[in-house]
Amino acid sequence: MADKPEKIFPPNRLSGKVRKTGGPSPEKAILRALNAAEDLIDSYQGWAVDDLAALWKAYEETRSNSGNPQQILKMFEIAHGIRGEGGSFGFQLISTIGDSLCKFLEGKRKLTASGSEVVKVHILAMRAVFRQKLKGPQPAMERDLRQLLALLRQRVR
Amino acid sequence: MSGYDFETLKVLVVDDSRPMRSLIKSFLLGFGVKEMFEAIDANEAFVEVRDSSPDIVITDWRMPPTDGIELVRQIRMDLNSPNPYLPIIMLTGFTELHRVKQARDAGVTAFLAKPISAQALYRRLCTVIEDQRPFVRVGAFFGPDRRAKRRSEPYMGVERRHVYQD
Repeated sequence: MADKPEKIFPPNRLSGKVRKTGGPSPEKAILRALNAAEDLIDSYQGWAVDDLAALWKAYEETRSNSGNPQQILKMFEIAHGIRGEGGSFGFQLISTIGDSLCKFLEGKRKLTASGSEVVKVHILAMRAVFRQKLKGPQPAMERDLRQLLALLRQRVR
Repeated sequence: MSGYDFETLKVLVVDDSRPMRSLIKSFLLGFGVKEMFEAIDANEAFVEVRDSSPDIVITDWRMPPTDGIELVRQIRMDLNSPNPYLPIIMLTGFTELHRVKQARDAGVTAFLAKPISAQALYRRLCTVIEDQRPFVRVGAFFGPDRRAKRRSEPYMGVERRHVYQD
């Protein structure tokens, strides 16, 4: 027989601690947050260069030996980081490309030569986004890019 | 019109990415949060939970060699956990449904997808502060009630849950 579920009502310490009024309005708080993060957002491209260099290095290593699961996992982890960071720092297209690369790499244990080329295309696309400084929402380009990369992933397994 | 006063809130930010930790802390600073702590993995975070007694934990999922799910389980289930009811926001690029369920089944309070925005983080903080869900202990699970949010009408089945006040 399954365990009997037990419901517990802990005291809500947060609602007691955080006053509902007295702080800035949500709009003002968000504006202040964006201002506080402005310098960081400007610095992001510098940090991203390091991530892209690491991704390129991992790609070159896997290209020379078809990759082993550990190397592919390493590429996935870098791409996963880039996917989360790109859009958070205003580069939505970077997240779109990173997401596509994660989808392509997840669960793979080895890469064919054409599979390596798919990785290369993603890295070059990210470099192009940074070179062109394509920041902010780019809905049309994002949609096209998503479709194009999905097609590429379908063609090359 | 004024909003939440976050000045007294203590927040622990856990992420292995320095840029992400800095960004989240900048957003929190903008919201008015004064006390913030950071950790780069689950082990460091658990030590910080014990030492700094944060009011909310915002954690990434993937932080090799440990992960955010492990941290959630530690906070909820470990005998040395100072506060098993601690609100935990899982902030991650893993957004597939099975991942969301996995996080929920580990006992997270709220889920927030990367890439993040200041608006989304603000909204999620407010949700967590207003969260009135009870905790449920059943089998290997201990965490916020997983049924509460799915149901807009009262539960019509047989109520098997034993209620007690902590």
